[in-house]
Amino acid sequence: MAVHHPPQPTVPAAVLDGAVADYPRDRRYWIVALVLGGLTVIEVLTYVFKDSIFKEPYVVTPTLLVLMALKFWIVAGYFMHLKFDKRLLTVAFYSGIVLAILVYLATLTVFRFWWPTSSGVNCSTTHEYSAINPDCATPKP
Amino acid sequence: MADTAVVAQTHEIGDDPHAHAVHHATNTGISNTKLAMWLFLASECLLFGGLISTYLLYRNPLPGEGPGPHEIFDIPFTSVSSFVLLMSSLTMVLAVSAIERGDHQRLRIWLAATALLGGVFISGQVYEFTAFYREGMGYTTSRFSSAFYTLTGFHGVHVTIGILMLLSLLFMSLRGNLPENKSETVEIVGLYWHFVDVVWIVIFAVVYLIP
Repeated sequence: MAVHHPPQPTVPAAVLDGAVADYPRDRRYWIVALVLGGLTVIEVLTYVFKDSIFKEPYVVTPTLLVLMALKFWIVAGYFMHLKFDKRLLTVAFYSGIVLAILVYLATLTVFRFWWPTSSGVNCSTTHEYSAINPDCATPKP
Repeated sequence: MADTAVVAQTHEIGDDPHAHAVHHATNTGISNTKLAMWLFLASECLLFGGLISTYLLYRNPLPGEGPGPHEIFDIPFTSVSSFVLLMSSLTMVLAVSAIERGDHQRLRIWLAATALLGGVFISGQVYEFTAFYREGMGYTTSRFSSAFYTLTGFHGVHVTIGILMLLSLLFMSLRGNLPENKSETVEIVGLYWHFVDVVWIVIFAVVYLIP
């Protein structure tokens, strides 16, 4: 039985808000969703195979961060139409993200988030106690 | 400002709901409503950035404070929730696409589907919180639990607000108050919804998956 699909004309910019070149057709959205689903499956596989190669933090962490950034970029670019809208919107949004990342990287550094060992950290005082630090796993007198 | 050279208002042609909008130029070339939403979303990045940073600092509870993240998280369950929210972004963008070509029936279907998927996600979060509470992790049990509930709770509130906006759009459409020349309204709600989705993409990776 033939399935009737309504026509899907490319939306002229004038109908929208003047900021749009051409939004993609529905078919492309389905493809993008498929890609996003695939990336999510890969993310979950890092948990399923956590005792194999993904046991190593230097493998699993960068892998997940790259997948996360890729999914973020795809949703922002295609579903939020940043790829098709005026560049100013991209600049405004990513400026906020970059600012947030810089501010909170600085905050994490101030709180010694990146110190993997006890170097420079005194576990004996409450205010410097850090359960992030393996050397401070148990409170010391 | 009366002397502003640019006007950002969209005027409809007469009372014809199917008439295309006439657009006045703004100095950015973008409608002010849309630009405002993008700037709001950029500021939301700072809010969620702060909550995620706090979680990262406090993710390991002090000894004797209660369960830690890897003892309590149910990754398969959260993976399904994440997938549901991701697919709600697809239905949302299909709703925007439907109204832009004047297909109101499909607009309603996709809006309802998006709200439903959002509802499924929120139900999953309520179930997750309840399960954690029963396992002894209350809001003040540990610094980890406080940071976790605050971060995911804030996100849940955003999703709930998004669902209310979607239902409002659906109601407007059913009453015939959402002609295609108001497609930007749907698009702006869509932007908010997709943002909620991208925030969860970050939370799912950073909070749940990265060891």
